[in-house]
Amino acid sequence: MSLSGGPTGASALRGPDPHRGGQLTDVLLAPPTSLVSAADRDAARDRIVTALVGSVGGRPEGPERTVGLPVLIQRARDQPVPTDPEESFTWKPAFVRRSLGLATVEACLERRFRWPAEAVGPVADRAVAEWQRTGWRTFHWEPWFAALSAGARAAVLAEASAWATTLWSALAWRRFPVPPRLGGSDDQWVCPSDRTVRLRGRCEVRIPLVGQAAAGHAPPVVGTALVSLMSGHPPAAGGEPELAFLALVSALASPTRPVPSRVAGLWLHAGEHRVVEVTGELLVEAASRVVGAAASLADEGSGDAVGPA
Amino acid sequence: MAPLDTDTRPGLPAEAQGHAFPTRDDRPPRVRTGPGSGAGHRPDRDHAPTAGWIPLAGEALLDRLRITGRPRPMADPERADRLRQCLEDGIGRVAPRTGLPLLVTRGNLTRALSCGAHRMPGGVEERPFSLPLAIGALMEVLFRQLVTTGALGDPMVDGLDGLSVDGRRAGLVHWIGRLSYGDRRALAGEVRRQARGLADRWPALDPAWLPRTQEPMRVALGGGAVELSTRVDLAIGRPGLDVASVGIVEITSGARRPEHRDELAFSALLETLRHPAPPFVVATYYTRSGELDVEPVSEELLTAAARRTVAGVQAMLHNGQAGGPAGDPAIGGGARQGGACAGCTVWGPVGG
Repeated sequence: MSLSGGPTGASALRGPDPHRGGQLTDVLLAPPTSLVSAADRDAARDRIVTALVGSVGGRPEGPERTVGLPVLIQRARDQPVPTDPEESFTWKPAFVRRSLGLATVEACLERRFRWPAEAVGPVADRAVAEWQRTGWRTFHWEPWFAALSAGARAAVLAEASAWATTLWSALAWRRFPVPPRLGGSDDQWVCPSDRTVRLRGRCEVRIPLVGQAAAGHAPPVVGTALVSLMSGHPPAAGGEPELAFLALVSALASPTRPVPSRVAGLWLHAGEHRVVEVTGELLVEAASRVVGAAASLADEGSGDAVGPA
Repeated sequence: MAPLDTDTRPGLPAEAQGHAFPTRDDRPPRVRTGPGSGAGHRPDRDHAPTAGWIPLAGEALLDRLRITGRPRPMADPERADRLRQCLEDGIGRVAPRTGLPLLVTRGNLTRALSCGAHRMPGGVEERPFSLPLAIGALMEVLFRQLVTTGALGDPMVDGLDGLSVDGRRAGLVHWIGRLSYGDRRALAGEVRRQARGLADRWPALDPAWLPRTQEPMRVALGGGAVELSTRVDLAIGRPGLDVASVGIVEITSGARRPEHRDELAFSALLETLRHPAPPFVVATYYTRSGELDVEPVSEELLTAAARRTVAGVQAMLHNGQAGGPAGDPAIGGGARQGGACAGCTVWGPVGG
């Protein structure tokens, strides 16, 4: 396993690229240093399935417990695990910023717009127009957004614009040889030995990693790097298994796809990032963290408060 | 009082990167035009700080932000390390390792360093609602709207709608809704006046400058035992370039106070700690008067901010997180020396 990171750009400004996101992007795009086998994935899966039967399987059926990255991080810090909010769900700008922000960055990546600040309004308008035309809600918030007044809309757009601009500034998007996938549905996996335990992995960017191209051929995709945007600040030390959790859920949710080779956590508000290379050993360690979190959630009767995508 | 930067010589290195908050020479000609956008704007004599003084508008306002008259600081990881070390030495080693980090904001720093007579209650959410607080919240929302969409409708309608959509402001919105006719009319009048000034004077910001409103900044110290946190009204320019390219602007609807400069410096400190290049400028825009206080970011400013942060956190730890020392009779907290309190830095009446 390896982990690189620290305050972003601490050494990123010495090279020819004046853009700190350039060096982070290079780290993300580097060829994978290890490949995780199917046997590694199975070992991690077995760790969860057998342990959860022992620790919580005998308990009476209860509410579903969702283990996500926030739970694991809080647990690693010995901090209270967030609980599901009691009040009924209502839309607000913070719930829209991720999906609208990602669509905004995607519009820039596809060169439909040059900058997030000029893209966010048209992207939102287009989503609403599509919903009005087809009835299909790509983001779910379209009817709510459409009914907002100008002042409320501006608050939503401002939130998404700032979020998207921060993400846009963090990476050198033009360097990706294969366009990354932005957003998408969360990876989910329900533990077969205790079906009240659900693993949910959310990442913002999935970057295809390409190898050397043979003459006359496009370079082959040899792996995937997952990028997750985090709030707060990274742990002072450690944190590798928690980040590898995202690769674990992806591997369990899609057993026919290769296990992601790399996971990056970006704490953009803190200006920090961590990058881990995923190994079989790290996957099993992540599985152990899941077991511990599921057991403690069973005791506390809580889980990740998962907002809308 | 923060010194106004009156040196507008364009003697700055041109930024090679298109994303930087540009100097005068590579500025796109995108400024909002209209009444009051130029130098001939009639000053609002009721609120202008000096008779005949004309608030900056349009390109002139932008120039004041961009052109500090000093070279923009270079990125220097050692500077950030030095500042961090200063903070770690003063804070990290004394902060208790409890489950939750000690949250240090510019507001509770100022509160911790204020004398008992001038100590404000908690954060914005904790303060008792008042007309000034309502004006501040509405202007914050309207400024964000102006930066994002480039337009304002009826300021009271837009402002209240903008506040209402954020559940955290529900209490304030409810309080405004229950105001008497006279108070509500006074509130609306002042908000409309300030919003008109904002719309007339603030230029449209080019999207290439990467404007971010309400940008959070966080820095952990002491292995996570302390978290420095702030949120700036506007950040412009791409962070992390070789040369400082970020400008930070705070919007204030109230009167100018000395602690505004300290709070700006705190934001500059956090930006320096999270990116190797500090911001090149921090500024406060007073929506009440149209004044713009600009402070070029220097080593001295950052060092002073770090020292103030250490002093504030130590005061918080010594006296509990609720605030700093009660008014010290030895230094006459609350007593006046000219316009300022003798016991702390606050410039204003006791209780305000």
